[in-house]
Amino acid sequence: MPSLPKRKVGIVACSGEELPAGTVTRLAALKALEDLRPSETVTICLPLFLAGGEGDRAFARFYPTIAVDGCEKRCAARATELYSNKPAASIVVDDILAQHNLPAPQGLRRLTPESGAVVDALAGAIAAEVDHLMAVRWSRTDGAILEAAPAAQEAVSTSACACGSGIPVTTVQIAGRAVQIMALEPILELAYNQGLRANGTGALPDEILQTVQVYNTVPSGEEEQYAQALDLAWRAYCEQREGQSNG
Amino acid sequence: MSKRVIIVPCSGIGKTYGTVTREAAYQVAEELRPETTAIVPLSLLVLGDEGARAAVQGAQVITMDGCSLACATLNVRQAGGAVAKDFTVLDAFRRNKALKPRGISELNEGGQALARVLADEIAQTTDELIAGGVDHA
Repeated sequence: MPSLPKRKVGIVACSGEELPAGTVTRLAALKALEDLRPSETVTICLPLFLAGGEGDRAFARFYPTIAVDGCEKRCAARATELYSNKPAASIVVDDILAQHNLPAPQGLRRLTPESGAVVDALAGAIAAEVDHLMAVRWSRTDGAILEAAPAAQEAVSTSACACGSGIPVTTVQIAGRAVQIMALEPILELAYNQGLRANGTGALPDEILQTVQVYNTVPSGEEEQYAQALDLAWRAYCEQREGQSNG
Repeated sequence: MSKRVIIVPCSGIGKTYGTVTREAAYQVAEELRPETTAIVPLSLLVLGDEGARAAVQGAQVITMDGCSLACATLNVRQAGGAVAKDFTVLDAFRRNKALKPRGISELNEGGQALARVLADEIAQTTDELIAGGVDHA
């Protein structure tokens, strides 16, 4: 089983078009992504949560996210929690204005030059949260910080989604073809830690297939073949974990 | 009851084509047809905001998407809105290959021009929808 990729932090910006602060969230998120913390962050497209972006949902389920909102409606934070998991951090532009004693941003399509200070302050706050989240231990099972102690250096990824999200993918054979299953390893880890085990009856726990279907499209009519392939992966995972426990 | 044509861009963050949709939406709503159009933020629809849902349910909606996942169109339909016309940046680019968009925070000249092409098409569609019986403020 390949080791998981180095953790990244997802940034979900509301990007709302009707408020200057929405534009601020978009520009600040991009500044953090492109300039301040390019190696530690990925962007998550908020509308994709509802439109069926399995990769974005999977990332936010298993990895820490920072929601960045322009107003108290907190669309980014609430939608992330609704469709995946509670964000590890939530930042609202008003809080940044208060902390830095800055005036409210002006301009929708083009922010005024004075509003650049708000973008910079928000981007700095995002970067600080990224640093914090990269320094603590993160539980993929619980989707939460384990403790405040610094994490040991994680193994280098051997299998990560080509989309660049950092989500691990596992390749399985289904009907003679190689199929990539997104987030399979964290899903198996979650099931194992919940007490499920492979047994001799050959039955794959329903929860595993159901969770896989949340983050992957299983073609109609191929459910049984997917279940067989997942069962093999599940058994291999359980054997590996039990071997680690005994060894 | 007065109604405006609602414009919903995907505004996909982190992608140039998403920025083109956002820019085109602003060009329509602020410059070309400020009296007959309004933007509804997609983030509000994703969350199920009642005001945003009511806005798209009670009007004809034009969507703009930056990629094939068509988030704007799908989210409007899931919110119960009727999509009168859906535009994609890729289609506009295929028709105007000299206008290569680049940049995310700030579009290059090609991206600005491509956004203008889209905005002009949306303005024309807006006029057709209005002429077809949509009341407006």
